[in-house]
Amino acid sequence: MNHPDYIAAESIQQALHLKQVHGEDAHVVAGGTDLILRMRDEILAPELLIDLRKISLDRISKHEGGMQLGAYVQIAQLLAHPVIKETYPALAEACRQFAGPPIRNRGTLGGNIINASPAADLLPPLMAYDASLVLESISGQREMPLDQFLQGPGQTRLAPNELLTRIMLPQILANSATSFIKLGHRRSMAIAIVNVCTRISLAKDGSVEQARVVLGSVAPTVIRSQESEARLKGQLLSEDLIEDCARLAADDATPISDVRASSEYRKRMVRVLVRRALTANQSELSGGIAGA
Amino acid sequence: MRITVNGRQRDVSSEPVKTLLHVLREDLGLTGTKDGCSSGDCGACTVMLDGRVVNSCMVMVAQADGASVVTVEGIATGGQPAEVLHPLQKAFSQCWSFQCGFCTQGMLVSCYDLLQTNDNPSREDILTAIAGNFCRCTGYQAVVTAVQQAAAEIRTSDAGAQNERA
Amino acid sequence: MSAPETGIVGRWTSSPGATDIVTGRARYCPDIQLPGMLTGKLLYSPHPRARIRDINVSEAQQMPGVHAVITHADIPGENSYLYASPDQPILAIDEVRFQGDAVAAVAAVDEDTALAALRAIKVDYEVLEGIFDPLEAMQADADQVVTGEENVMLGMTFRSGDVASAMASADVIIENTYRTQWAEHAFLETEGSVARMEEGGGITVWSSCQAPHRDRMQVARALGLPESSVRVITPYIGGAFGGKDEAHVQMHAALLAFTAQRPVKLIRGRRESMLTHVKRHPIMVECTTAADSSGLILAVKARAIGDAGPYTNASHEVMNKFGEFIGGPYKVQNLEVEKIAVRTNNPICGAFRGFGAPQAAFVYECQMDEIARKLGLDPLEIRLRNGVDTGTQLCTGVVVRDGDAMKASLRKAAQVTNWKNRDQMNKRPAPHLRRGWGMATILKGAGMGRGLADHAGVLLEMHRDGSVLLNSAAADMGQGITTVLVQLAAERLGVKVSDVRINRADTDRAPDAGASCASRQAMVSGNAVLLAADDIRKTLLTLAAMKTKVESDRLGLRDGRLLIDGEPTDLTVQLLAERASNWGYPLQAQGRAHLEYPSDAPRVPYRYSSEIFQFCTQVAQVLVDIETGQVSVERLVAVHDAGKMINPGGVYGQIEGGVAQGIGYALSEELVVEKGHTMNPSLENYVIPMALDLPEIEMHVLEFPQDGAGPMGAKGVAEAPIIPTAPAIRNAILDATGKTLHQLPMNAERVLKALQD
Repeated sequence: MNHPDYIAAESIQQALHLKQVHGEDAHVVAGGTDLILRMRDEILAPELLIDLRKISLDRISKHEGGMQLGAYVQIAQLLAHPVIKETYPALAEACRQFAGPPIRNRGTLGGNIINASPAADLLPPLMAYDASLVLESISGQREMPLDQFLQGPGQTRLAPNELLTRIMLPQILANSATSFIKLGHRRSMAIAIVNVCTRISLAKDGSVEQARVVLGSVAPTVIRSQESEARLKGQLLSEDLIEDCARLAADDATPISDVRASSEYRKRMVRVLVRRALTANQSELSGGIAGA
Repeated sequence: MRITVNGRQRDVSSEPVKTLLHVLREDLGLTGTKDGCSSGDCGACTVMLDGRVVNSCMVMVAQADGASVVTVEGIATGGQPAEVLHPLQKAFSQCWSFQCGFCTQGMLVSCYDLLQTNDNPSREDILTAIAGNFCRCTGYQAVVTAVQQAAAEIRTSDAGAQNERA
Repeated sequence: MSAPETGIVGRWTSSPGATDIVTGRARYCPDIQLPGMLTGKLLYSPHPRARIRDINVSEAQQMPGVHAVITHADIPGENSYLYASPDQPILAIDEVRFQGDAVAAVAAVDEDTALAALRAIKVDYEVLEGIFDPLEAMQADADQVVTGEENVMLGMTFRSGDVASAMASADVIIENTYRTQWAEHAFLETEGSVARMEEGGGITVWSSCQAPHRDRMQVARALGLPESSVRVITPYIGGAFGGKDEAHVQMHAALLAFTAQRPVKLIRGRRESMLTHVKRHPIMVECTTAADSSGLILAVKARAIGDAGPYTNASHEVMNKFGEFIGGPYKVQNLEVEKIAVRTNNPICGAFRGFGAPQAAFVYECQMDEIARKLGLDPLEIRLRNGVDTGTQLCTGVVVRDGDAMKASLRKAAQVTNWKNRDQMNKRPAPHLRRGWGMATILKGAGMGRGLADHAGVLLEMHRDGSVLLNSAAADMGQGITTVLVQLAAERLGVKVSDVRINRADTDRAPDAGASCASRQAMVSGNAVLLAADDIRKTLLTLAAMKTKVESDRLGLRDGRLLIDGEPTDLTVQLLAERASNWGYPLQAQGRAHLEYPSDAPRVPYRYSSEIFQFCTQVAQVLVDIETGQVSVERLVAVHDAGKMINPGGVYGQIEGGVAQGIGYALSEELVVEKGHTMNPSLENYVIPMALDLPEIEMHVLEFPQDGAGPMGAKGVAEAPIIPTAPAIRNAILDATGKTLHQLPMNAERVLKALQD
């Protein structure tokens, strides 16, 4: 492990300035739960660590009908937030199933995004809710949809001089249902074998106005199943349609085999979980009780 | 760097990226907090940092600068020889909530945290609170028993204190 | 030795170390700090098999802060471990044979410096093609894993009765091939040791271990010192489960301290721990079981191939125990079992709670349910029909001295689960869910076995104020032996538990108690404490008889007082102790016990057979998701015979912990090894169930005291609880889905595959 300098930035400007000067040699410390392991394993050897805890990036607030979340918001904070639970329930559910209490108290929303793990628990719901990211540098800020931000395992479109500062959750259409299902080897402290998050928003006539079918741990990044989303659009939900979409989603998955599961099993589980998630959406939208 | 540990201010001169666990054990001599995996998987190193449980193996000490830390050594009150054990500590001993005891210090901190906000926890509440604490010897039922016993004792003594005031 | 009980035995008693543990004051190896202490680290092979052409340590030796760098050439004594055979080097010489072979050791002022020194050591390896498949390793032309040693380190067949004739007359024959996995102990405290040279050339070694006297022998051998110059102390120990039976880093720490002439602390990291210490053997078993139409077992034939890894360690004994128990707790008259242990370049295997019995039980209890199914018999009925009784002679030749607990445990489990009405449960709570119940019952020996050393000594002393000091070298790794010994001493001496102080095991203070293994210490060291306490008690009662003029056989001791005819008097134990001291009767005693095997028993052809048995039955209720293959255990009932509970807290702790380990063994725990490389050496990826994953475990303890076992008829309980869990869950999956699984662990993917077949 190397011996970087450490600065707890006093302001966002200071943090941005440091990023501007040091670029990739400077690494941001949010919760630090992944960073510390990567440094110990010498996957990362930054020269400078910029701690963001003194900057007020830990706010959760309403914004233009949606929500604005600071990048430093901790998982436990999200989990405890009543509006998140009410308005973005799949995100709350992903937080509930995230690791265990001590990690939830340290791990941050921004950290989970920047790590860009294909198995990250929070990314499927964020993507299903059309989250976008505010990336700031000393020369200004830009906003980017989450699904464009992720490039590969651990790879994002964050520029060396940029910081992720906020996550924007847009207002979700009326008459929407979301469902998050995590398949892991245990109920806590588990890395997902497969994660699925679906959202269905219905138009007034009952047809699908917007559909999101997001898959985790089955591709180099968390992905949206374009095929199944296209298949759903404008249709009336039915058992056959759902089965069809589940099959299409499995076709979109390109999983690897590792110690947790084989690629065949993962592909098969995509089909099962997408079917269950969409069925839960259907049930919720038709006034029934959502259940996985 | 300055950290308040178990109510006492401690000045720490350590590399900023050393873990809080390392500093507690090596620099401050508080070896009650254990290192079971150094990777956040087992919970043996659980401490409270500014009132919330964390894995001290996953906190850089610089992140704790200015913060307040409670370790297992800070749960009892009074100090030796007049030490008064917390009801949890007594209940853990009586109920055989541990065998080897290596997970116990972290487990106690997680349960201590739970009782700060929940004076009558259900089995599910307790299991959720210790979902990051791994025990290989005993399992978790005897922990549930002990936490409920301790909670009952605390409720009784709180009620007693209220009656006295009234 | 009979004396009326005073109520200490059988009562929940907190461990003597409880307050130290809950306050964080208890010192485990990693917590020991000594002046001038260095940090030790080991360099391991990155290859499962390679020739070492050269080891260059000169750069590392020059580094500031580095005080010792050693290789095999620097070992003054014998360069080998010695559990059973000296074939495993402490530091590799010219070849590495698995990922856990250490090549060099360093001691430096701190961890960072030690790690930097490891990086500076240059080892020139010639990577060799490894031998990873036991079946290939068994071929006559296979490369030898250890040059000069046969790859088949054990190949023995035991025969009893006439298997061929019995098979020929059978109505049902069930034939299956079973596979079990590498399993990891995952004790929460990794292996560690601290060593310090003493004035005069001796050495003190603090050791997280199960067998301090065997550690002493091994350290002495490695350093070329007499054993009398070596002192081994066990501080608090964070679990072991067999994984600390053999020495681990004690010799390395001692060698570094010897070389550096400064104290050295050497603690394995989690990954290092998982890559190096022994695992539970993966065993492939071809098993054929024959029964008649009534379900009576006529014959069992099994061939078991255990992957030992490169070195002998405990493989002979583990495979021997596998063969001893493959007949289960049943009246099997005809048995043939072939036990094979094979060397490979895979992880080394050895002792792990149950010692071959969990693998055997998985086989015989799965076979049992398949026979029952074929015959349309109730799983309970077929077990009762075949189960042993007191006086049954097992196929090994052993006569079961107290077998009543076998059927009692079955009946109790059936009663508390309402087994007969299990079909009333909702077997299909949702279209994708199936529910089922399964049962398994087992026997497991307690104690080393006939013909093996199985003795223990203790030293006991009562002081003039009535307080008691107990010195035992029985290692307490958490299982609670110190509590049991303190209770027994207090019980017999009529004092309070808090009046007895017990030291942590220390070879300079206490005689050899053997290893804390084989569920033996409560019996053997327990008996030794009773003998020592009775010696002191006799002196106290003699003095009391002189004072009271009452015959000593009417006297007793309880709650610190003398009893006459069971009634307390004003005469205190303390006063008697003071008199003893004043009058020159030392209240000191050594107790020495060994497990006795009846000399009038019939000849026992199976070598090293156990003759004291732990019996237990478990019933599991599972819910299977037939679309994902996930199995959740909804309910688990465990009925165990303890003989006599000395400390119920410890007994229930052992049962709950054992069942929790059994659930992990059944469903998720598996070290994935590919060509000698362990792919998941972390607690993240070696999946052990945690708090939210376990059902409420319902425990019932039976007490069938057994003569010739432990104090008041107590039997060891440590190993049995893990053994029936996996087959009980497997049989529940069979009940739920109709599918037979023959491989552990039964993880979601494997279950789904079985459902598709």
